Amino acid sequence: MSASARSGDVATVSVTVGVGQTLAFDVFTREIDLWWRRGVRFRFGRRVGALCLESGVGGRLFESFDSESGPHVIEVGRVTHWDPPAALAFTWRNVNFAEDEITQVEITFESLSETSTRVTVRHRGWAMLRPDHPARHGLAPGEFIRVTGLWWGDLMTALREYIDRARNP
Amino acid sequence: MVFHAAAALTTLKTAAATSLGLTFAALADPARRGVIDLLRCKPRRAGELASTLAISAPRMSQHLRVLRESGLIQEDAGEGDARVRVYRLRPEPFSALRGWLDEVEEFWQAELAAFKAHAERSRSKR
Repeated sequence: MSASARSGDVATVSVTVGVGQTLAFDVFTREIDLWWRRGVRFRFGRRVGALCLESGVGGRLFESFDSESGPHVIEVGRVTHWDPPAALAFTWRNVNFAEDEITQVEITFESLSETSTRVTVRHRGWAMLRPDHPARHGLAPGEFIRVTGLWWGDLMTALREYIDRARNP
Repeated sequence: MVFHAAAALTTLKTAAATSLGLTFAALADPARRGVIDLLRCKPRRAGELASTLAISAPRMSQHLRVLRESGLIQEDAGEGDARVRVYRLRPEPFSALRGWLDEVEEFWQAELAAFKAHAERSRSKR
């Protein structure tokens, strides 16, 4: 990926996987709950539930939890593009994003050989650039205040330092 | 240790009161983000920004003032005609953005590594 292609709001990551394209696509989509990291800060609720990606355009990406009052679902996004085994795309919006703060995740599966596939994630959208992304500081999104439309720079650093101090007195 | 959301909110409000807070507020508006996206490619005049984004000249003038005051863009005199103003991005705020994108990429890198490990581990069983 050339430097000029790295525009301000796209995060791009690739990995080469030692399985064929069709298997890679199927495992990615059908077994997402088995491979997605299970730590609370990589998931979407206060505890780890069952992650699911429904197939086809309009399919949901969601995590479901059993509770005393029945199943509870947190929806992360919807499939906007479904092209097995080559590609899929879905919207991504954490519970603490505003209604219009939608980001887009595109996954492509490039066949390199019968037993090798290059999988690339492109995550784009200004709303992605926020300090309360689930991976950032080990707090479930629901515990965090809604931070909408703020830019990151020194504020993010200050907030991270504040959180580190609060968690490590 | 309990995390106090209220205290974090105070931190944010304090930051908002500073000039750095103006930077954050500047990018909260989608039209201003559109200006930033256009200026990434090359410096432009106000009229071109307004017409490309279909925003009236007075409104664009307002947006450009907010972006200037936030430190995200600067105004230069156009070549040959000092009356023409050309706007360009200031690089400093965006180096911080690059750092944040790196973190998002780390997140996806780790997820893809987990996917790779799972897919390769189970391939012999299929």
